[in-house]
Amino acid sequence: MGKLERLAVNDEGFIFDPETGNSYTVNKTGLFIIKFLKEGKSEEEIVKALSEKFDVSEEDARRDLVDFMEQLRLYGLLEGENV
Amino acid sequence: MYRVAVSGINAVDNPGPGVGIAKGLKGGSLEVSIYGLAYDAMEPGIYMKWLFEKSFIMPYPSAGEEPFIERLLYIKSNYGLDAVIPALDAELPLFIKSSSLLESYGVKTFLPTEEQFKLRGKDHLPEIAERIGVKVPETRIVTSYEELSKAIEELGFPVMIKGIFYKAYKAFNISQATSYFNSIVAEWGYPIIVQQAVTGEEMNVVGVGDGEGGHFGLVGIKKLWITSLGKIWTGVTVRNEDLLSATERFVSEFKWRGAFEFECIVSNRDIYLIEVNPRFPAWVYFATGVGVNLPDRLLKAALGLEPERDWDYPAGKLYVRFTDDFVTDMSEFQRVVTRGEN
Repeated sequence: MGKLERLAVNDEGFIFDPETGNSYTVNKTGLFIIKFLKEGKSEEEIVKALSEKFDVSEEDARRDLVDFMEQLRLYGLLEGENV
Repeated sequence: MYRVAVSGINAVDNPGPGVGIAKGLKGGSLEVSIYGLAYDAMEPGIYMKWLFEKSFIMPYPSAGEEPFIERLLYIKSNYGLDAVIPALDAELPLFIKSSSLLESYGVKTFLPTEEQFKLRGKDHLPEIAERIGVKVPETRIVTSYEELSKAIEELGFPVMIKGIFYKAYKAFNISQATSYFNSIVAEWGYPIIVQQAVTGEEMNVVGVGDGEGGHFGLVGIKKLWITSLGKIWTGVTVRNEDLLSATERFVSEFKWRGAFEFECIVSNRDIYLIEVNPRFPAWVYFATGVGVNLPDRLLKAALGLEPERDWDYPAGKLYVRFTDDFVTDMSEFQRVVTRGEN
């Protein structure tokens, strides 16, 4: 099981990593992305969904998604195999 | 009704494990009456009558085996005593040495062996780490300024300066390192441990080994908030399989018997062993609170009953320690001072 699948995520954007004991908070957009990542959706699918949900261009959505995923990697929450 | 004595009832800023042990025993499946063993009339546990039915001032272990055992036998003959759960490092060698004698008087314990107890010295960590396949921060054992400078040159800053049993400081420059070195030497003597400062998550595991390679439960936690004395005040349960299986290897490799605390720093998948304590930690109530009542299980093991072995605790349970106060009568204190018991 990958790291992301193990994370406990609640609807208010509170994330708990049961392996390290670390916790994080994300905003609505972050929560939206994390839920998609946990479901194993591809980058393209997430970009489309973001663009529709928040009414932004796919280009903006992609830039924000890449940024956010980079943050997740930095915290060790995203491993190579995800997306 | 089992009568059990528990030490370490100094619930102060550097808390002993006794109060946590007593809370576990009270919430366990055995009917118990708990006695507190104290070394000072001011130890708060003495006055916590809802946990400790009676308390006794003990002679210091350094005064020798005879007065100490005599005091325990006095308790046994006057009030009854089935088992003792010692919780302080300083008294453990005496209890370990006298365990057969106490047993012959009907006072049970469940303690590590003398060899296991010696493993608590930080100079033994590399040996433990090697046998169970974990890492240990690069370590030098020094006894002079020359050796200290050489060790620091090799390890670089920041560096941990530690006593062999107590105290640990992080030094960022040579003047800090020298000052910590001096202060530990003044208080605890040589040798001094100079250690690479490892970054990662500070995680601990509490458990009770069965003495045959198995255990009566483990609980892994991460410290979230510590005091200036390094004492955990807030923590969270974690399920880090690498850490838990390293702890199981430790228990089986050394056939650990009794309570222990396994202190590590976890950095990604690397586990660095920092310390092994041959007793319950002060936060042992955390284990009880998540359904693994280790003090109750240890007592059962001591009494020759079969303890539970399940330890499927949930990750994400929060431990919160707080300070509390209450008012009692001066006569309580007077009795402790004049009679040595209350």
